[in-house]
Amino acid sequence: MLTRLRGGHVVDPFNGVDGVADVYLEDGRIVAPDGRAPDEEIDVSGHVVMAGAIDIHSHIAGGNVNSARLLLPEMHRSIRARLDGTPLSTAKWSTFETGRLYAQMGFTTVVEPAVAPHHALHAHFELGDVPIIDKGALTVLGNDDFLLAALRSNESETAITDYVAQTVEATGTLGLKCINPGGADAFKQNMRAFGLDEIVPFYGVTSRQIFTSLQKATQTVGIPHPLHLHMNNLGIAGNIDTALATIDAAEGLPLHLAHVQFYAYGLEGKSAFSSAAPALAAKINANKNITVDVGQVMFSDTVTISSDVLSQYGRLEGAIPKKGVIFDGDANGGGVVPYAYRISNYYNAVQWAAGLELFLLIEDPLQVFFTTDHPNGGPFTTYPELFALLMSAELRAQWLERLPAEVRDVTTLPSITREYTLNEIALMSRVGPARLYGFTDRGRLDAGSIADIAVYKDQRDKAGMFRNAAYVFKDGELVVRDGAVTKYVKGKTLRIRPGYDRAIEKRLDAYYDDVYGLSRAIFEVPESALAGKSVYAEVACRN
Amino acid sequence: MSNATLDGKSISSEDAYEQAAKILQEASFPLVAGLGADVAGAQAAILLAERLRGAFDHLASRDSLTDLEVLRSAGVFVTTPNEARVRADLVLLVGPGLQSYWPGIFDRLALDKETIHGGTSKRRVLWIGPKRNEAKLDGVEIETIAATEQDLAGVLGALRARVGGRPAALAPAALKKIDAAAEALRAARFGVAVWAAAGLDPLIVEMLQGMIADLNVTTRFTGVPIGGRSGATGVLQASAWMTGFPPRTGFGRGYPEHDTWRFEASRLVDSGEADAALWISAYDGEAPPWESDDIPLITLGPPGSAPKRGLFIAVGKPGENYDAVEFAQETSSLVLRRAGAPAELPTVAEAIAAISAKFSEDLPC
Repeated sequence: MLTRLRGGHVVDPFNGVDGVADVYLEDGRIVAPDGRAPDEEIDVSGHVVMAGAIDIHSHIAGGNVNSARLLLPEMHRSIRARLDGTPLSTAKWSTFETGRLYAQMGFTTVVEPAVAPHHALHAHFELGDVPIIDKGALTVLGNDDFLLAALRSNESETAITDYVAQTVEATGTLGLKCINPGGADAFKQNMRAFGLDEIVPFYGVTSRQIFTSLQKATQTVGIPHPLHLHMNNLGIAGNIDTALATIDAAEGLPLHLAHVQFYAYGLEGKSAFSSAAPALAAKINANKNITVDVGQVMFSDTVTISSDVLSQYGRLEGAIPKKGVIFDGDANGGGVVPYAYRISNYYNAVQWAAGLELFLLIEDPLQVFFTTDHPNGGPFTTYPELFALLMSAELRAQWLERLPAEVRDVTTLPSITREYTLNEIALMSRVGPARLYGFTDRGRLDAGSIADIAVYKDQRDKAGMFRNAAYVFKDGELVVRDGAVTKYVKGKTLRIRPGYDRAIEKRLDAYYDDVYGLSRAIFEVPESALAGKSVYAEVACRN
Repeated sequence: MSNATLDGKSISSEDAYEQAAKILQEASFPLVAGLGADVAGAQAAILLAERLRGAFDHLASRDSLTDLEVLRSAGVFVTTPNEARVRADLVLLVGPGLQSYWPGIFDRLALDKETIHGGTSKRRVLWIGPKRNEAKLDGVEIETIAATEQDLAGVLGALRARVGGRPAALAPAALKKIDAAAEALRAARFGVAVWAAAGLDPLIVEMLQGMIADLNVTTRFTGVPIGGRSGATGVLQASAWMTGFPPRTGFGRGYPEHDTWRFEASRLVDSGEADAALWISAYDGEAPPWESDDIPLITLGPPGSAPKRGLFIAVGKPGENYDAVEFAQETSSLVLRRAGAPAELPTVAEAIAAISAKFSEDLPC
């Protein structure tokens, strides 16, 4: 059936479209009508039409997220019954609700950025229970004994490359993430702080060595997504130095830095805590090999979930409410610590301002991405408010009025007049993410792309506009009408399948036998185990 | 032998599914209990409970909730058995009967071997409150601190006090022993406590976790919980991501509500609040714990476990008769267990799907 979305304001920067046009879809794809009359027509005049949005970094599934659910039953009491045909869609913080809420905002692809190799099957089970949207994930390496030991003994780059490719393939993800490289292992050895050039005891390697080796391996393997790095010293006053030094350490190779707002802190002001976002933004503007997502803080009660177990332990002291989980897992593990960001809190207000400065001072929307590092800076449901803040200097000024006055002394935000256009919003939330992960079938509206489409009613209240999409199509099926999910469809799980020398498998078999006294097969993620739960779709590797 | 019975008499599977659907659909508040199932079985069972606006509970919820109560009131430090195996230079075993709750415990923790990660060292092993003659392991010197089940909380409390340098009202000989243990814990580089909630009161687990938190101020210390029987931990995980809550959750209002008292299976049945029950115990056919024997009952269990009363549908044993994903105690993760003895029996999820297929159309989905 050929459907025409007629007369909407199409914002499709990939194809240079920003004006009134029709969009045609058929059999799950965007098509060119070739003169045919549509079988169905939907009048979307007065609406903005974009490709479905893509969230590049949101903690929506896996053991650490599930621990957070169990830790905080008081945070997610449900209050309303669901509609027919959408089981568990109002069960708060469930995988089902996650799919529904993303779809309602016009998001159709979301990447869970922290899958531990030994818990990958669990993560895929959870992702399989997220309806409607397509999912992807990143595999975490960088605190694993196999890699650290290989670096200690100066193994060839080939060995590390094969190990990386094998691990990504076996865990069914889109690439690699590295979280406080070496820091989680150092914490197991009782270090409480860990910087870029500190040495992991027992292995004699630095954080810098670990992440640059993974960065190179990512390139060699041909993984489309650059290494996704969660740097050292997250959240610490003065950590701007770490961020700047890390960008230098990348030496021009592609690198994605996660939730950089948490690294944009200087030591100015009477509390010795200030926004260093302008310096970080300038550095990013000057280094085109770098992409970042912001990890914007939005004032809310939330919970921090991170595989940076060292940093999470440090955060326990300030937990609100005062409880948490510290999991010294195989390799990274994780920490879950609840927290409340308050507009009246000086530090939180500086964090909020620093995040917005990064969005507004990084010049190229293709270098910076929307995230709140859900749920670490705030839940993903605050994105619409964030879009509105970026699109209106006046709205920002209103919020600034409510911050503690001394915050103005340590941020440049009040002086920034830039306002994002719809085109820039679409670049940042559609085109950029697709490019970042090597997706060629989404984030755009040309013929042949999958028909993931978000239609928003154009209105002055931008937050309202983006909170409740008027129509959302997933693979050509209408799943949202007037901000409400009307039906479930089953999204896919996106993955890459890099090639590698299978000899590494024999070596890994021997390693597991030797170290764990276990068959490595126990950690496998066989497709048969996911039958009926999850459907994979493959994203091509480079070369 | 038939794979389905009604009051002990053989019936066809078709009839069994048909009748099961009728019982569940006609109930105003059906209970899905036992839940001794693999993850796929639990997913199907929870979706069924939600669709019927009933409630669900697991047969070992008491044990899962012992740890959960500590988690959600105070928080926990945990690790995996494998991390303990490669790194723990001190292992603190807590409470009696650990091997009965986890037969593979000593093999997995490799207490007789040296640590591997963070450097090689011999392990020190302490056991508080083992059963008589239990603390014996070839090639391992186990230091024991005697404690009956009633004493355990007091002994742990004294140990925590001494770890923190606070006084403890003990006789000199006992104090000397506790002090030596406290010194050993403080001197550990990466200590791991191991306990089984099944044998313990939540206050004991809370005391233990409080001590672990204290120890982490100066060194590293963490814990390995031994989970409940019949797939309890895997079912708990699925329940958490699907509903936000552990078992003992009800859907009477069309959304999940978790209440450890209201939705406890025995109470729901014996009080008459639940008016039909689906009892699932696929691993070993464990019988329901309630006393009432007049609730309409459907049982899913392995062949040979049919109760005298009610409807019974045989299902395979997860991971034995069919490939099943379940929580593995040895890795602390969900794993695929491949069937060692495949059998022509439905999986738990398949049996539930077959029942659901017989619902009449007026049940909304």
